[in-house]
Amino acid sequence: MNTNNIDLLVKNPDKTNVFQLPPEAKRLPAWRLWVPLLLQIGLIAAVPATAVYTFITGKTVVLQTAPVDPYDFLRGYYQVLSYDISDRTNLQKLPGWKDLPSDKTPCPPGIVCPKNTHNIKPQTSFYVILEAPKAATNPGRPQAWKPVRVSLKNPANLPANQIALKGKYNSWRIEYGLETYYMPEDEREKVNQEISEAQRKQRQSFVVEVKVDKTGHAVPVSLWVRDRNYRF
Amino acid sequence: MISDKFRRELREQAKLWQAEGLIDTSFYQQLSERYQFNTLETASRNRFLSILISLGGILLGIGVITFVAANWQVWSREARVALLLSLFVAVNAAGFYLWRIPPSRSQSSNQNILPATIGRNKLLGEGLLLLGALILGANMALMAQMFHIGGSSYGLFLAWGIGVLGMAYSLRLTSLGVLSALLVGLGYWLAVLDWSSKVEFSWLEVLVRQMPIAASIMFVPLAYWCRSRVIFAIGAIAIIFSLQVSIVQGLNPSWAAAIFCALPPALLWGYDDAIWPNVHSRLFQPTARSLALLFLAGVFYVLSFHWLWQDSPNPAQIPPDWVLLANVAVLGGFTVFEWLRLGRLELRRPKQKAVDLTTGAIGILILASALIPLFHLSFTPIPQLATFLFNVLSFLLAVGLIREGLALGNRQTFWGGMVLITLQIISRVFEYNTELLLKSFVFVLCGIGVIAAGLWFERHFAQINDE
Repeated sequence: MNTNNIDLLVKNPDKTNVFQLPPEAKRLPAWRLWVPLLLQIGLIAAVPATAVYTFITGKTVVLQTAPVDPYDFLRGYYQVLSYDISDRTNLQKLPGWKDLPSDKTPCPPGIVCPKNTHNIKPQTSFYVILEAPKAATNPGRPQAWKPVRVSLKNPANLPANQIALKGKYNSWRIEYGLETYYMPEDEREKVNQEISEAQRKQRQSFVVEVKVDKTGHAVPVSLWVRDRNYRF
Repeated sequence: MISDKFRRELREQAKLWQAEGLIDTSFYQQLSERYQFNTLETASRNRFLSILISLGGILLGIGVITFVAANWQVWSREARVALLLSLFVAVNAAGFYLWRIPPSRSQSSNQNILPATIGRNKLLGEGLLLLGALILGANMALMAQMFHIGGSSYGLFLAWGIGVLGMAYSLRLTSLGVLSALLVGLGYWLAVLDWSSKVEFSWLEVLVRQMPIAASIMFVPLAYWCRSRVIFAIGAIAIIFSLQVSIVQGLNPSWAAAIFCALPPALLWGYDDAIWPNVHSRLFQPTARSLALLFLAGVFYVLSFHWLWQDSPNPAQIPPDWVLLANVAVLGGFTVFEWLRLGRLELRRPKQKAVDLTTGAIGILILASALIPLFHLSFTPIPQLATFLFNVLSFLLAVGLIREGLALGNRQTFWGGMVLITLQIISRVFEYNTELLLKSFVFVLCGIGVIAAGLWFERHFAQINDE
């Protein structure tokens, strides 16, 4: 097809020895393996690096889970949890919600838009400030922390009983990076039964313990169903 | 390479000949030395041994995997991490040191007849290195799972591909390079499909948005380094695809359509290995030009459908995205540079009787594919004329390819043109509501034409290659 430029064209390079390694490449020095291998190990280590940092330096916080369908919860390869603070309706009454950047979608004509909903921009990151429960009434099982306000910036100088958790508004739901769990297969049945019983009697008894670091990043630590603790 | 079966038969025959007196003992000795009759027994024993060893190895591996699976949940997280990492390092190291062993030179000079163990270590080592590259991805996924990180899948593939890329550069291994290009391409594809999470700043986000340039930097040098056309082709497809995504996302529709159609084939057709320093052969120009023709054929074929031009153009003005446009500008500038260089080469070259699809003709086709959508979207809609013009362009390209294939005796070009023209005719027959009788007539004509042309080509021009 390309006989113009014959001057440099290799006729059939696959068959000439251009495609073979030069002889000096036959025995490579060892660093040619170890340097990229270290890079790859660095990549592997980078996956859990922030999680480990948060786990070591973080402060323990307890979150109230939202109701789940126990029959659906432990199906499949991983489980998705949501929390009380994942739901927009639980956060929009808090102080600070109105200050978040809003999405100015015009009200379509003919439809009465609810006045008091403040539609914040999708993909906005903000911080939910949680406060520790006043007193530990039940010594065995921890009590959930309560959200007190939201803030666009990570607030400095919080009192000791408060902490800021970073979340991202993702069309209706707020995500905290605490939604996905991988449950060991042999524990699934047991946990499933516990959850379904707990939800029937007292909803408050299904909580998740997490650790939150200074930047608001959180990792899950364990799952409490009534008085039983399942470590992740 | 001479098979053991042949050697065995030859030995029997040679013994027979010696017994019959056809050859004397010294001649038999010569044959025996040349074909190493004495190693036949040890060779078969070695093969038996290696089969046993590999069978044992497979059983051992299954046993280890089962053991790990049985205890996976019981072990602590640290133990699991240590196990995964040591497996990863061990497989890579074993692969590397096996792969590095120079081929064993047999004692005699008849090495080229009996390359007995040459390359076996190398092959096994390369296989292990490839396995190591796959374990890298598995390790990253398992880490995410163990620490409950719900990351994006495109991030995993991109990071994995970059990790493999480092190893491919360092060891100059084509297989790893191909794997890396596929992984990065897949990661980019998933990132484009996943429209959410596009706001937060991260290095992955930067990589995805700068993919055309990033892919050029990552894979074009690697293709030269490994001298691999496969890497070049996959890399070029990744570059073109990401470039098109950037064009669509970053530009307003009328200009985007024109650049979308014209820039990729121009970039590919103008590609010339000789613009790089230290590259002394045009290794990849044919590949790039084939891809350019393929792209043009696809564009012409798709745009020759009438319904595509039917809907009224609604130029929804989106604000131009300068980061994405930087990509388009860089590659566009490179294209202009390529074509200026091509033009200079064309002018300098003595006039010869052109039998090939010249750069000029391709340039006109590319220009037409840019101008028609631009005119349609920016000035007045011309659905009928545009459809007609693209049918003409498609036909011209197909005929050009066929003519080119005939003139040079190039089978692929010829059949590519045939497929394009047949597809075009069949599509037009189905697209416009014509009578069944006419349809059958067209089909029969097409069928006869294709068969006749094919037979004629194979009879008259296929010998050219054989000579």
